[in-house]
Amino acid sequence: MATLKEIRVRFKAVKNIQKITKAMKMVSAAKMRKAQERILSTRPYARKLSELMGQLVALAHLSDHPLTQEREIKKRVVVLVTADRGLCGAFNSNIIKFTVNHLNAIGKDTALVTIGKKGFDFFNKRQYNVIKNYPGLFQNLNIQESNEIVSYLKDLFVSGEYDFIEVIYNEFKSIIKQNITTETLLPFSKKINTDKKLMNASFIYEPEAKKILQELIPKELNIQFWKALLESNASEQGARMTAMDAASNNAGDLIQALNLSYNRARQESITKELLEIVSGAEALKKE
Amino acid sequence: MDNLLNIEIVSPEKNVFLGTAKVLTVPGVEGLFQVLNMHAPMISMFETGVITIEDEKGEKINFSTRGGVLEVKDNKIVVLADTAEAKDSIDVERAERAMQRAEERLKEGGKGFDRERAKFSMQRAKIRLKVAGILK
Repeated sequence: MATLKEIRVRFKAVKNIQKITKAMKMVSAAKMRKAQERILSTRPYARKLSELMGQLVALAHLSDHPLTQEREIKKRVVVLVTADRGLCGAFNSNIIKFTVNHLNAIGKDTALVTIGKKGFDFFNKRQYNVIKNYPGLFQNLNIQESNEIVSYLKDLFVSGEYDFIEVIYNEFKSIIKQNITTETLLPFSKKINTDKKLMNASFIYEPEAKKILQELIPKELNIQFWKALLESNASEQGARMTAMDAASNNAGDLIQALNLSYNRARQESITKELLEIVSGAEALKKE
Repeated sequence: MDNLLNIEIVSPEKNVFLGTAKVLTVPGVEGLFQVLNMHAPMISMFETGVITIEDEKGEKINFSTRGGVLEVKDNKIVVLADTAEAKDSIDVERAERAMQRAEERLKEGGKGFDRERAKFSMQRAKIRLKVAGILK
């Protein structure tokens, strides 16, 4: 059995850990709420833009825009969105595992663009073909940086260097559930909006519909990617919150167990001392 | 109340404005234009400039924008702006710094100098300052 002092030291250490995990949980809870709000606030824009696009696609065909060119797929890019930091349960490892499997299926030499430090660390160490890394994006997540990444990806596609670009990210389902999602970014495609009401209204287009459509494609790409980043951000905070909640609970259990053994050890030592005194007194009496 | 427009201005990051107004002025790609009551259905692009909303009392609200697209239908206008900033959300100091930087670059020129870009950022800064009420 451990000595009293040893138990006391461990007891203190666990208590400190619990303090930290509790604080981290509260911080991520606040961050998650904010992240959720940001997802919600992109929705009106995204919905309307998508509606407009669907309507315009019916009038003008997409096929001659450089971002919609469907070529024979020779070289692919996978954009992987992970977190910059750990301590969020299986958040990073799940998506990395998924990506490894995906890469095995489509070819190990597929170019990787990693967003978030964790994904980069993993794939860079293992000799994967990481062509670009964006670390530290989530500390101050803003749409300008997101758009810059999109324009980098667009260049890769338009230059003809790569023929297919997809994003893998964690979609935010709920605090405890994330969905690993694969989305095609380029070539760009859009379904025709079949809403009859919209089709029948005769709109004035300024400039012509085709030109508007071409202007809208990059906007839609931007918002699609921005949404993926926001979803991943909210998922990360949610995963961290649940992980830290579990850690706090475990620390609580450990504290209880340590408390019990501490009391037991204390009682034992008192009993032992008493026994010594009594037997000492007995011995004195006999003499 | 019948001759009012329902206006919604949204950017990718937030809902900027939701309300009614009499006149909407937009820097369209083919020139500045106004939308009034009973406008025909329209989808139009607009570029960097100032969006102005005039409410029933004649009071004006300005937004600086970097362009976008808008839809007019049944007196309802949805403005999808890449950015839209009202007076109180403009960082005046930043706009002033951007303005200075662009001015210096335009003066000095030099290696790898992109005149178009400098001009563009100067224009943006100017619009921001205008909306903030600092520049006339």
